[in-house]
Amino acid sequence: MCAPSPVVGRHRQSRRRFADRFADDLTRALARAFDAEATSAQRGLLQGLDPRFKLVSMLSLILCAVLAQSLTLLAGLFLLAVALATLSGISPARLGQQVWLAVLIFTGVIALPSIVIVPGEPVWQVPWLHWTVTLQGLRSATFLIGRAETSATFALLLVLTTPWMHVLKAMRALGVPVVVVAILGMTHRYIFVLLQTAMQMFEARRSRIMAPMDGAQRRSLVMAAAGMLLAKSFQLSSEVHLAMVSRGYRGEVHLLHDFHARWRDWCVLLVALSLPAAILWSQR
Amino acid sequence: MHIPDGYLSPSTCAVAYAAALPVWYLALNKVKRLLHTRMVPLLALFSAFSFVIMMFNLPLPGGTTGHAVGIAVATIVLGPCASIVAISTALLIQAVFFGDGGITTFGANCLNMAMVGSFIAYWTYTLVAGRSVLQSPRRVVAAAIAGYLAINVSALFAAVEFGIQPILFHDTTGAPLYAPYPLSIAVPAMLIGHLSFAGLAELVISGGLVAYLQRANPDLLAFSMRSADVQPKLAGPGIWRSTRALWYGLAALMTLTPLGLLAVGTAWGEWGTDDFANAAARQEILHASGNVAPPVAAPQGMERLSSLWTAPIPDYAPSFMHSANYGYILSAVLGAGLILLLFLLVSRLVFKRDSAGL
Amino acid sequence: MNGNVFELDAVSYRYQDKVALDALTLHIRRGDRVALLGANGSGKSTLLRLLDALYFPSAGVLKAFGEPMSEAALADDAVNFAFRRRVGLVFQNPDVQIFNPTVFDEVAFGPLQLGWPKAQILEQVDAMLERFAIGYLKDRAPHRLSGGEKKRVALASVLIMAPEVVLLDEPTASLDPESQSEVIRFLVESRNTGRTVVTATHDLDIVEDIADHVIVLADGKVAGEGKPGEILEDVDLLRRTRLAHAHWHRHADGEMHAHLHSHRHHHDHHDGPERPRLITGKK
Repeated sequence: MCAPSPVVGRHRQSRRRFADRFADDLTRALARAFDAEATSAQRGLLQGLDPRFKLVSMLSLILCAVLAQSLTLLAGLFLLAVALATLSGISPARLGQQVWLAVLIFTGVIALPSIVIVPGEPVWQVPWLHWTVTLQGLRSATFLIGRAETSATFALLLVLTTPWMHVLKAMRALGVPVVVVAILGMTHRYIFVLLQTAMQMFEARRSRIMAPMDGAQRRSLVMAAAGMLLAKSFQLSSEVHLAMVSRGYRGEVHLLHDFHARWRDWCVLLVALSLPAAILWSQR
Repeated sequence: MHIPDGYLSPSTCAVAYAAALPVWYLALNKVKRLLHTRMVPLLALFSAFSFVIMMFNLPLPGGTTGHAVGIAVATIVLGPCASIVAISTALLIQAVFFGDGGITTFGANCLNMAMVGSFIAYWTYTLVAGRSVLQSPRRVVAAAIAGYLAINVSALFAAVEFGIQPILFHDTTGAPLYAPYPLSIAVPAMLIGHLSFAGLAELVISGGLVAYLQRANPDLLAFSMRSADVQPKLAGPGIWRSTRALWYGLAALMTLTPLGLLAVGTAWGEWGTDDFANAAARQEILHASGNVAPPVAAPQGMERLSSLWTAPIPDYAPSFMHSANYGYILSAVLGAGLILLLFLLVSRLVFKRDSAGL
Repeated sequence: MNGNVFELDAVSYRYQDKVALDALTLHIRRGDRVALLGANGSGKSTLLRLLDALYFPSAGVLKAFGEPMSEAALADDAVNFAFRRRVGLVFQNPDVQIFNPTVFDEVAFGPLQLGWPKAQILEQVDAMLERFAIGYLKDRAPHRLSGGEKKRVALASVLIMAPEVVLLDEPTASLDPESQSEVIRFLVESRNTGRTVVTATHDLDIVEDIADHVIVLADGKVAGEGKPGEILEDVDLLRRTRLAHAHWHRHADGEMHAHLHSHRHHHDHHDGPERPRLITGKK
């Protein structure tokens, strides 16, 4: 018996790619969650801050990144993000792997054409193509990528150094309704249940399929999985509802949190809030 | 379709949040009233479902794959208000926890996908499905069309939000500070991507799930229309009434903005490149600019810009407006506003017919 | 007031054209440990939910603590909270039971709904976590728990309210042996605590240990009632209600045969009067 025919091999490969890609997404989601839990339990600068103050400060810093109209300021904010990360036990290498690379690819691809499309002072002529790279184009691309990277870093720092439930409870301080916080918490909880259910469905189907699938078959596989997932979601929601009622739930959401603000938190908040104010004032 | 941080200016984000907040508030109250103790678990599970669906790699006709948001499914099964809350929740978790979509742009993302998307899907589905039987193929088609339209109108709104950035926000050297592509590039780029891949994915998921539910679980399909154990319909004229004013207001604002500028006439700065060559126009400019003579030739940048921005899509610059800049901001806003108005008017007719039949 | 915690009088429950429970008449005495036996689909879960006032009868009267149960009766907040505290239900699927983002929040959920003061809640939750040896799981998210850990969290979150009645739906299903024995230990130790325990199960092996009284359900009706010993001996009943099973096994002397599995903890094989009937017909 000879080596598998290229045709069969390719089909098998694409079938593997299809189901495995979902498996990768699932693993990535779970890994992110575990990671966040582990990191937020470590000792570090950001981990020690009251979640409410941390949330507001991070939002403020993200706002700064979006307000900035000078590249130097943007660079400064980026370095601040890296500094905060390092002081919280998160290495730049990890930041690179978890956020910088993805943002660079996504926004980079979008920003790249702008260096030749945005009109302005020519800086360089692309050989053979006669496209002119302009200064404004370069600046624009740098702003876009810089902002995306800096904001994403701040957001990741918030999530990595704070248990998810604390992030949600901190949102109460910003006036988010209790019901929304309850829904968010429960959604987060059940995302993992549904992800695992979906994985199992794919695995079960995959193991029963012998011949390679064409597009229509694959589509109906995904549709069936999606349909079953939808039905299961509803069924779960009914059962969870009963479990909630059984323990006394009547529609009022109550949260228990034990946040204590210290001097350190107030200082951080003050600094964080003054930054966007300063930027806005300087742009007047 | 999830807009990251840095693509939209703070003022654009603020406007988007300002538009989103009242809709969130109204939707949340409506859902709370209708679902009571069922609200939290139902919406949480559906948001989780929506989140997982957004991760599915859907195989599309033609051999490619795409991701769907599931707007039409959420709207059909839960009704538009609950759909707004459920999709917003999924988007928030994606943005904050998984870094998919920005935090400053969260308002805009919700406006585009959760709000505009849900309402477009709702009206389209109700319109096309009409009073057909729960199991009829017409509903599958209605769902598919609803999904397709919803995602494309969302994409259009996002494209408009992108496209107005370079005109309004640039630094001292003239470099765009946020999304760098003007409408003439942003709109076609977004729409091409969505009319094909993303739209197809949404179409497939919406039609496919409704077809699946018709066979496997028709109860869920009737969920939002059933007056049974969950208080009277989630969908229906009730929601329409409470948010109608909001939508009319928004549409009116959008379509009326051109008129303001019309009244002023050709305001200072709104000149086309040929104006610089035209003697009469030069006189006008001279008078309007405190007798400072305009340059002999149009500024290089303007030259390049105007041809770039008006040539590809001529209808984008209404003929009575020579200037490229305002011409096409207005076109975009007008376009989006007209689409909204169209939906509003059509569904008004539909509901009038429905309530007359009651 | 008599000693009955629950009294059912011709109670039926209908759901979407299906009759889940058909004119059930039974009672459960205070302090009893009751096992509800029945195959899947016999109506055990439905009955438990009726007892926990999550469903209400389509026909007949269900009385709990001497008062008839109905949706209207529980509309009053005070009545509802009193009932919810007195009766607790442990669901079969722990993922349904554990819907809060962390273990601590989960155990605190019940008391929070009942409006206990914050300090008391914090204290009680810690005590419960200690008692079930899950203190180390305090801030853990549910998707990171094992089956046994989830069960312990579920039990803790129900027992923190110190209910007089505990209802359990298939508590040993899909648990590893160690976790199973923990649950069983809890059920065994409930004897003489004055707490009423109703366990729905189809695991005949544990019935004698966990119950003093057995009710057998089949197709939504009561098929039999009595002491565990009696019921387990009644092979006909077990077979009729699809609870009996037979399996092949080999003895030390090499003989292999099958017979209906008696779940009594002692039975003689080849000698003694209690020799079970062999399916193979070999004598």
